[in-house]
Amino acid sequence: MGRSQRIAGDVLASLLAHKPRTFLMMLGLVVGVAVLSAVIIIGQGTQERIMGLVQMHGLDMLMVRAGGEMQVFAPQADRGLASLVEADARAIEAEIPNIEMASVVQNQRGITVVHEDQSVTTRAFGVEPAWMEIRRWGIAEGDFISESDIGSLARVVMLGAKIARELFPEGGSVGRIVRVAGDPYTVKGVFVEMGASAGGDDWDDRIVVPFATSSRRLFNRPYLEQIVIRVPDVRRMAETAARVRALLRVRHGIGPSENDDFFVREPEDVEGAALETSTTLMALLIATSVVALIAGGLVIMNLMLIAVSQRSREIGLRRAVGARASDITRQFLLESLFIALAGGLLGTALGVAVAAALGALGVANSRITWVPFALALGACMAIGIAFGVRPARQAARMDPAASLRGHAA
Amino acid sequence: MIFAQSLIKSYRKGALVTNVLKGVTFRVAQGEFVAIMGPSGSGKSTLLNILGLLDRPDGGRYLLGGADFSSADDDALSAARNRTIGFVFQQFHLLERASALRNVTLPLLYADENTGDEMVLAERALEAVGLSDRGDYLPSELSGGQQQRVAIARALINDPALILADEPTGNLDAQNATEILDIFRRLADSARTVVLVTHDRGVAERADRILAFEDGRIVADEAMQSRPRASTAKVP
Repeated sequence: MGRSQRIAGDVLASLLAHKPRTFLMMLGLVVGVAVLSAVIIIGQGTQERIMGLVQMHGLDMLMVRAGGEMQVFAPQADRGLASLVEADARAIEAEIPNIEMASVVQNQRGITVVHEDQSVTTRAFGVEPAWMEIRRWGIAEGDFISESDIGSLARVVMLGAKIARELFPEGGSVGRIVRVAGDPYTVKGVFVEMGASAGGDDWDDRIVVPFATSSRRLFNRPYLEQIVIRVPDVRRMAETAARVRALLRVRHGIGPSENDDFFVREPEDVEGAALETSTTLMALLIATSVVALIAGGLVIMNLMLIAVSQRSREIGLRRAVGARASDITRQFLLESLFIALAGGLLGTALGVAVAAALGALGVANSRITWVPFALALGACMAIGIAFGVRPARQAARMDPAASLRGHAA
Repeated sequence: MIFAQSLIKSYRKGALVTNVLKGVTFRVAQGEFVAIMGPSGSGKSTLLNILGLLDRPDGGRYLLGGADFSSADDDALSAARNRTIGFVFQQFHLLERASALRNVTLPLLYADENTGDEMVLAERALEAVGLSDRGDYLPSELSGGQQQRVAIARALINDPALILADEPTGNLDAQNATEILDIFRRLADSARTVVLVTHDRGVAERADRILAFEDGRIVADEAMQSRPRASTAKVP
């Protein structure tokens, strides 16, 4: 066993022999770390719940519609709006920050789909692969449209659940051929049941084809009905929407006094506000617990400084039996390090217990990850060393002869 | 073993300068048992601290085992204390929450090389002071005489050539004092050098030689006639 290990062993034995003193020294840190880890656990749980809501309700999606605000509420009949094009979507992706992906959307009602003796008239959509992720639709069978389908103008089609049921009552539609507006298309996949939108649109009563196929074959027009956009940081939703609007005004050459020829629809903002509130609260609580941690470190330092002068005879004795000044430094640094680490472990355990209890009571959402453990360990190590240096130096500087007489030099 | 020549030491407290050692010269041969006797406040303890490398003289020359430590750094002084000196104090200076065995092994913490089985060494040291059955006791569970014997065992564990004792019987009754002094006698008879500081003539007379110390100086060097000196004093 080397000198350092022997000293570390001695420090542990001495801390265990003075349990009340040791516990008192770590108390401040225990409280600080407990608050910090409980806040992190609850914060992560809340974040997760909000992200779940965001995803469930598509709150991270911006939608750009062709036609100005007024026209949106015009009769559903063909409005003949020809303002939005694919290049707009690519420009939005390329030029605006906080945008994860975008997909162009074309749609048209009154498309007839036929399989053998079954025929339905429905609404057809032309989209890109990203659409699936932005809208978070599920696939019951088969696969979604791929990039190569776009590249090859493939005649493939995705069926809404209701269409699949009507055309293929016996199931097994994937890989079969249907006629869409007279042309043969291979069924590539079937969506899960999606229900209806708040506006009453039946999401299961539709078919989806690759955008290139819709623009060059099925609809044979370049103009879009929509662009859908995934915004990763929903707290900056309004700002991002404003940038999209500004970009499109420039691209469409709209003058200062003219109205938009498009409409940017933002998701409802309620949950975004909730997210913001919880973020502020989290920041406040984290700041509080950081202050508590520093206070805990100061407690350790001051108790150590008192201990150093109280233990001057012990220090003198250790020096007399051969401890170097550096051994004394090491002893007191290890003491504060061990105390801080033990306080950190105890505090984390307490914080986890409190957060789990609040979670179980339904008062808070808690999600336990490795983050509070790693953070507590790192913070306590830093605190143990940072606040242990001064007492350790002071102990090592004491004059051996004077400290044996009990005079703290 | 010890060669001290014109040792000078003074302390400054504010504007007041106290000259504690005013030119102390003496030698102690290996295996000698020497008592430094003087009234309290005469500077005996300061002298002992210098002999034990816990303090440095302001002037003069001090050789321990022939080595000059006047320009040695803290690490070298600490290593020398660890290897060649065993201290025994009036207040015992035991760690209160540590067993006798842990107290005895304390110097091994700071030894440069691993000295082998610590517990075997500690038990041997406790045996040498007649406490082999008290290893697991805390100091508070031992009598004063027993505590001082634990402290002597601690001083012995690294097998030092020199034992320095500062009023080792000052806190003990006559019976225990006699037992402690018997231990020092045996140590000296086994070729260890023992230097003991005391104000008590009766204690000093147990040594081979008494250096009478007064006001920072040695005023008399008296060989005890009752028992033969181990050897004549020689510069080591």
